Amino acid sequence: MSQPDFTVEISQNEYLPEGGDDVNAIVTVTSPAAAPGDGRLAGPAADSGSAEIIIVDCSGSMRSPQTKIAEARAATATAVDVIRDGVAFAVIAGTDKAQPIYPPDGTLAVADAQTRQSAKQAVAGLLPRGGTAIGQWLRLAHSMFTNHPASLRHAILLTDGRNEHETPEQLAEAISLSEGVFSCDCRGVGTDWEVAELRRISSALLGTVDIVPDPAGLAADFAAMMETAMGKQVADVSLQVWTPQHATIVFVKQVAPVVEDLTDRRVASGPQAGDYPTGAWGGGESRDYHLRIRVVPAGIGQQMLAARVSLVATTPSGPEVLGRGNVLATWTDDEALSTRINANVAHYTGQAELAQVIQEGLEARKAGDEDLATAKLGRAVALAEQSGNEDTAKLLAKVVDVVDAATGTVRLKKKVDDADEMALDTRSTKTVRTRK
Amino acid sequence: MTSDPDPVPAADVTCPSCGWPVGPQDNFCEACRAELAPAVVSGEDPVQATACPFCQSEQITPDGYCESCGRKLPSSRDHTEIDLGLLAGVTDRGLRHHRNEDAMALATAELPDGPAAVAVVCDGVSSTRRPDEASLAASQAAVQVLLAAVRTGHDLIEASRDAVSAAREAVAGLGKPGEAAALDPPSATFVSAVLTSEAVTLCWLGDSRAYWLGAGPDAASQRLTRDDSVAGEMVAAGLLSEADALALPQAHVVTGWVGADLSGAAPHVTRFEPPGPGALLLCSDGLWNYQPEAVKLAGQALPGALSDPLAAASALVSFALECGGMDNVTVVLAPFPLRPAHSAGPPADRPADPSADPATDLADHPESHEPAAPSARLDPEEKPADEPA
Repeated sequence: MSQPDFTVEISQNEYLPEGGDDVNAIVTVTSPAAAPGDGRLAGPAADSGSAEIIIVDCSGSMRSPQTKIAEARAATATAVDVIRDGVAFAVIAGTDKAQPIYPPDGTLAVADAQTRQSAKQAVAGLLPRGGTAIGQWLRLAHSMFTNHPASLRHAILLTDGRNEHETPEQLAEAISLSEGVFSCDCRGVGTDWEVAELRRISSALLGTVDIVPDPAGLAADFAAMMETAMGKQVADVSLQVWTPQHATIVFVKQVAPVVEDLTDRRVASGPQAGDYPTGAWGGGESRDYHLRIRVVPAGIGQQMLAARVSLVATTPSGPEVLGRGNVLATWTDDEALSTRINANVAHYTGQAELAQVIQEGLEARKAGDEDLATAKLGRAVALAEQSGNEDTAKLLAKVVDVVDAATGTVRLKKKVDDADEMALDTRSTKTVRTRK
Repeated sequence: MTSDPDPVPAADVTCPSCGWPVGPQDNFCEACRAELAPAVVSGEDPVQATACPFCQSEQITPDGYCESCGRKLPSSRDHTEIDLGLLAGVTDRGLRHHRNEDAMALATAELPDGPAAVAVVCDGVSSTRRPDEASLAASQAAVQVLLAAVRTGHDLIEASRDAVSAAREAVAGLGKPGEAAALDPPSATFVSAVLTSEAVTLCWLGDSRAYWLGAGPDAASQRLTRDDSVAGEMVAAGLLSEADALALPQAHVVTGWVGADLSGAAPHVTRFEPPGPGALLLCSDGLWNYQPEAVKLAGQALPGALSDPLAAASALVSFALECGGMDNVTVVLAPFPLRPAHSAGPPADRPADPSADPATDLADHPESHEPAAPSARLDPEEKPADEPA
C-alpha cells in the first residue's frame, strides 16, 4: 500500500555573504489530514497493526495518599475504554519487578468489549506494594511488544517515585533496548518523582513527559494520551537528511511542538545521508525541525543544495519517501539579501534557548546559586515574553517574581511549590509557533 | 491540408519532420504542415550538463544539483546564443546573479514582399516570484502572436498589443495553487520589435530598451523606448536629468511590467522608420546600465552588427561582463534593411555547453560557444553555398 504524502516546507534565508558557510533552515513537516471516507486515513491500515501497553506504578508509595492508586486504577480503566476494537493491548503493574496484570500470561489481548471488561476487572485489583525499578517495566514491555507483529507500538508509563530499586545503568540499558521498538509517553503523579529521569525515557522513546500533580487529573490525561495514540497512522517515520560532500551537520533539532535534539540519533542511511527517527505520525500532525549545516562556500552567484530533507517510512517493502524538501545556499554580494534574518529561524533559536535557560536556571536554583538562577530565569522570562510563549511565561511566574518581563528583570520567589517547579521543568521544552 | 501533394522541383531544403522538399519562402511544410521556421526561445529547452563541472560526479538530481557536491549545475539557460541570420541574440546570467532571469525569443518569416524578423526580450522582475519563469513564459507567448501576425499580414501595432496580452496571460498562468495571488506574482519587463522591409514596430512595458544604431553619415542613433521606471518617469516629467535620475537609489524600480497584478497597464507601441542603414538593438538593463548612450552603443556594435549580428551581440554581452556583469544581460541585434534570406547564415540555437571546462572561472561562467546539436531547421551539410564569410 502506498503511503499518503507528507508536505515538507522549508523556511530559510538561502542567501549567504561571500565566504559564508552557515546554513539554517526550519523544516515544517505535516502529515496528511485524516479525511472522512478514506479508510486508509480513518485509522491505521489494519488494527492488528497497533499495540498498546499501559504500565502502572504499583509501588508502596502509591498508597499515600490513598487516592493515588484509586485514581491510577480509574485512569487505566478509562484509557482501556479508549482502545479501539482490534488493537492489541496489555496492562503491566510496575514495582521493583514487572508483572503482566492483563492478560496475565504476558501476551497481548485483542481489544473488544469483553477483553476491555476483563482488563478493567484486573486493574481494579491492583494493590500498591513493593519498590520502583522502571528498567524492569520497560524490559517486560519490550519483550511483550517484540513477540507481537504490530508496527505501531506505544506505551503509557505512570510513576510516582524515583527509580530506586535498580542502578541508573540498568535503567539506561532498558531504555536503549526499547529505543526504536516502541514509543512511550511518561507521566509523573505527585511530586516525588524525578523530571530528568522520566525525560530521559520519553525523549529516547519519542514520547511526551508531563506532571500530573493531583491524582484526580490522571483519568483525563490518560484518555487524551490514548486518543492521540489511536490517531497514529504511519509508524517508524524518519527524517532523512542528505548533505553535500564536505558539509557538516551542526545540529538537527525538533523545535515544535517541543524541543528535542536529534543530532546524536543519526543512523547512516546511504551516501552522504543519515536518518533521524521521528516515531509515529497521526493525521494532520505538524512538526518543525531546525537544521543547521556548515557547507564549503562557493563563489558569488553560485548556488548549492545544502541539504535535501526527506520523510521516509519504513515499510515491509523497504523505505518509502513520503515527502521531500530542499535547503539551498546561494552566495550573493547583495547585503540586503544576505543579512536578512529568517523569522522562523530566529524564533526557534529563541525557543530552544528558552528551554535551555529554564533547565539551567532550575538546576542553579537547586544547587543554591541564586545569582545564576536569577540570571537564567530572567533571560527565560524575557524570551517567553518576546516570543509570545504565554504558557511558559505563566509557569515561570510561579517560580520568579517578574519585575520587568521585557528586560527579564526577576527575583527568585522565596517559597516555590514543588509541583510548580516540576511543571516548569517538564514543560520547558514546549514551544509556540511564530506569531502571524 | 494537402493529402497528396504534387511533386515539386527538387530544392536545397527538405522538411525536417517528413522530408518533403520545401521552398525557401515556405513558412510551413506543404506535406505535413510542420512549422519550418519556428520561433526560437532562449532557455526554452534547457540542456543540462551530464557531469558536474565542479567535482566530476555524473550523478545529477532531476532539479539540476550535483548529487555529490551539491552545486547547482550551469544550464544552457545561463548562456544562450541564437542566430537566425536576419537577426541574432545573446543572453547571459552575468557574474553576480545565480540564474538568468532574462529571456529572448527570435523568429523570422518569408513574405511575398520580403523577409520579416521578430524579437522579444523580457527581464524577470527580481522582487517577484519565479521571475525566470515569467520572462520565459512572456517571451514564448508573445513571439507566437507576433509571428502569426507577420505571416498573415495583420496590423502589427494591434498585434503588438495582443502579444503583450498573451504574455500577461501566460505569466498570470504561472501562479500556483495556494499562493496568494496578490503577493508579488511572477512579472517581467517586455520589449518587442517586428522588422519588415520598411519599418520597425516596437512595443514595451518596463525598462528593457530598444535603440536605433545608425550606420550612415547622418546616422542619428537614438534610444527608441522610454523606461517605465522611477528614473524614467522622473526624466519624462522633466524633474531630473537622466544622470541624476539614474543615481537615485530607487532609479531601477520598474513601474510597468507584464504580470497578473498590473492587468490594466497599456504597453507603449510605436512605429519607427529607420532613416538609413543601421541596426536595431533590443537589450535588458544588464547592458544599458553600463552604456546607456545610443551613439556609444552604435560605436561599439557597428559596423560588425551589419554583417554578423551574432558576433556583435556577443561583443556587447562581453562588454557588460567586463564592466562587472552585475545583472543578467541580453542583447538582440538586427541589421536594417533586413538582408534577403538567401544571404543569411544558417539559423542555429547555440546554447553554451554547460559541462565545459571544469573547476575554473569558465565553470562558474561558461563562455564556451560550442554549438549544440544541429538545428532542426537545416542540416549543417546543406548550408547555402553563398553564406557570407
